[in-house]
Amino acid sequence: MTYVAARGGEEAIKRSEELYRHLNGSIDRTLVRSIERHLPYLVDRVMGEGSLYAPELAALAIAQTGGDLYEAVLLLRAYRSTQPRLAYAEPIAPEDLITVRRISAAFKDIPGGQILGPSLDYSHRILQMDVLEEGRGGAPSPRDLLPLSPGDRGERAGVRGVDPLLAAVAAPPTYPAVAAWQRLTGLIDPLPDLEPIDSAALPDVTREPIAFPAPREHRLQSLSRADTGGVLAIAYSTMRGYGLTHPTVNELRLGYAEIRLRHPVTGIAFSAGRIRLSHAEVVTPFARGATKLGLGYAATMGWNEVKILAASMLDLEMENGTKHPAHAEEFVLEHTEPVESSGFCIHYKLPHYVTFNSILDSLRVAGSHETGESPSPNGGVGSTEPSEVGVET
Amino acid sequence: MTLADLAFPPQDYSYAFLDDFAKRELRRRILKAVAIPGYQVPYASREMPMARGWGTGGLQVTLSIVGPRDVVKVIDQGDDASVNAANLRSFIARMAGVRTTTDALEATIIQSRHRIPEERLGERQVLVLQVPDPEPLRQVEANMSLAREMHAEADYARMWLGLYEQLVRYKEYTGGADYPVVVNGRYLMNPSPIPRWDNPKLHQAAHLTLLSAGREKRLYAVPPYTDVYPIEFDDVPFRVENQDGHVCRLTGVTQKFLTEIPQADGRALYEISDTDYGAKVVARERGEPRTIGATYYDDEGRFYHAGYLKRRAR
Repeated sequence: MTYVAARGGEEAIKRSEELYRHLNGSIDRTLVRSIERHLPYLVDRVMGEGSLYAPELAALAIAQTGGDLYEAVLLLRAYRSTQPRLAYAEPIAPEDLITVRRISAAFKDIPGGQILGPSLDYSHRILQMDVLEEGRGGAPSPRDLLPLSPGDRGERAGVRGVDPLLAAVAAPPTYPAVAAWQRLTGLIDPLPDLEPIDSAALPDVTREPIAFPAPREHRLQSLSRADTGGVLAIAYSTMRGYGLTHPTVNELRLGYAEIRLRHPVTGIAFSAGRIRLSHAEVVTPFARGATKLGLGYAATMGWNEVKILAASMLDLEMENGTKHPAHAEEFVLEHTEPVESSGFCIHYKLPHYVTFNSILDSLRVAGSHETGESPSPNGGVGSTEPSEVGVET
Repeated sequence: MTLADLAFPPQDYSYAFLDDFAKRELRRRILKAVAIPGYQVPYASREMPMARGWGTGGLQVTLSIVGPRDVVKVIDQGDDASVNAANLRSFIARMAGVRTTTDALEATIIQSRHRIPEERLGERQVLVLQVPDPEPLRQVEANMSLAREMHAEADYARMWLGLYEQLVRYKEYTGGADYPVVVNGRYLMNPSPIPRWDNPKLHQAAHLTLLSAGREKRLYAVPPYTDVYPIEFDDVPFRVENQDGHVCRLTGVTQKFLTEIPQADGRALYEISDTDYGAKVVARERGEPRTIGATYYDDEGRFYHAGYLKRRAR
C-alpha cells in the first residue's frame, strides 16, 4: 500500500499541512514581533537570501515555517517575485553608510579608526544559564546585548535616564573606505571614471537569466542573495588550500544605508527609510600577475559577517583564480543559490517510480547479457526477447 | 459613472499569478523555442510559491499560456492523484479559474512530470513537460558554457562515444528515462525524464510539446509534426522498456507503460502508470460510456508510426 500513501491528492495535502500546524502550534502577531525584535541576525539572514528587505515579512516567514530557513527564504522570494518595481533607489556609496562597525585586518589603524561596534567576537562563548532561572534578574538579558538601531537610543536613554552604552562624544556616523587610501597610494587600481549610474538599466539577475561569464552586476547580486552556508562551504575549501589564495580582510563594515529615491514629479531626492547593510572587501597581492592588490567585494542586506567575508573571498578568487571549481563562476554561483539548491534537494522526495522502472529495465537487460537469463523479475517472460518490445510486425 | 465603476476590481494577484511582464517574457521565449525546435532558450524564471524542482518551470509555462476557457490536466508519474500533481492542479485552477480534468482527450493543456499519456494527443492540445535538467550534454560536460558551445557547433561526438562505450561495456544502451533525442535533425535534447516508452510519442506528434526547467532557467519545444529520434546506432536500435508478459493488476491492461509493484513473496505485480487511461478501461468493461482515444501503442505493443521502432538484429 506504499504507493497509496503517496496518493490521495488534495485531501492528503490538506491533512498533512493541518498536522504540521497542529504539531508546531499557532503563530500570531506577538510571536512575529518578538522574532523581529529578538532574532535580528536570523531575520537579516532570511532577508539577505530572500533578497527582500522587509523585517516584518521575514519574521512572519520564519514563524510560519517553524524556523526552517530554506522554507522561509522561499516564502520571501515567492512573495517578492509578485511585487512590481515601483522605483529605483540611488546607489549607496560605502562612505555614506551610517557605520556602527568597521574593522580592517590589514592595518593596525586606519583613517577614521577601527570601530569595533556591536559584536560577540571577543565574548566568552558560555551559555548564560542564569537566564533560564526564574526570577533571576540583574544579569544582562539577551535583549540588552542586541545591537541598537539608531531609533532605539533615545528610547533606552528615556527609560533608564543615562544609557551606559552612550559615549560622551558621539562617533562620526560615516567613514572613508580603506580602499580609498590604497587607491591614493597606487596599491589598488584607481576607480574607472563611471558615467552616472542609471539604476533602471543595471543588469538584474532576478529579471534575466544569468549567463557565464556573468556580468559583474549578476555576480555580486548572486553572491548577495546566496546561501550563507553554501558560500561558506565553498570559500572555506579555498581557505584550507583547495585553490589557495591569500586574502586579507581590508575592510568589514556593518551599518545603516539610507534608501534615497527621487520624487517622480519634482525630482527631489528623499529618504524612503534605512536598511541594515553589511559589506566586506578582501585583498590579495599579485592579482593577475600585476604588482597591485586585487580586490574582492561582497555586500548583502542585513548584517551577516560570515556570508560577506566568504562571498568577498569567492569574488576575488573568481576574478583571479585557476580552473579550480571554487574559482569558477558557474560552479560557485549556481551551487550557492539557496532556493534552487534546497528545492532540488527536497524534490528527490517526490515519486520517481516511472524513472526508476526505466532504470531497472536497462539494468536487467544489461545484466541478462552477462548471465544469459531472463531480464524479468518474475521469470515469466523468458521466451520473449527483450529487444522485441514494441516491435513492428 | 464613477472612476470605481471603470476600474477593474482589485485582486491579490494577477490573473494566472504571473505579472504581465513575466508572462510577456515567457511568451516571447516560447515563440523562440517553437521557432528553433529543441534549442534551449534561457529565461528569467521567477520564484514560484512552491519549491524549485517541484515543477516551477512547467508551471510558469502553463500559467503564461493558460486562458479562462482552457481545460487543464496535471499528472505526475502518469497519475492525476499524485500529491504534487494535485497541488499544482489546485494552484493553476485557483489562479487561472480554469476547469480541470483527468481526461487526456478533453484537456487543452496537460502539465506532466515524467509521462506522456497513452492516448494520442491532438493538434489542439499542448503538453507541458516539467524538466529537472534540460542539458543532455551534462553527462559528458559539466560546464554549461562549454555545453552551449557544443550545441552551437552541433558537436555531439562525445555523446556518440559515450553510447559506443555503453555497448562495448554492457552490450546495451544503458540510458533509463530522459533518453536523449535529436530534434528536427539538429539539436540534441533531453525529453525530460519520461520513460523511453514515451520518447517515440514526440516524433511527428500532432500536439505541441513545451518543456521547461524552472531551476535551470531554460525552456524548449517540440513543435507539431517534427522529427524526433533517439540517439542510436543504425545496427543497434534504441529499445523501449519491456512490457511483454506484464499485466496490470487493476485493469488487465497490457502493452502500456506498467510500473512494478514489489510483493512480499519476492514477486512483482504491475500497475498501469497512466491512471486515467486505466480508469477508462475499467469503466468501459463495466459498460459505462467512456470514450477511449486511439493509443500510441496498440494491445500488441505496436507503435502507431509503422517502422519507427526497429527490430534488433542479433
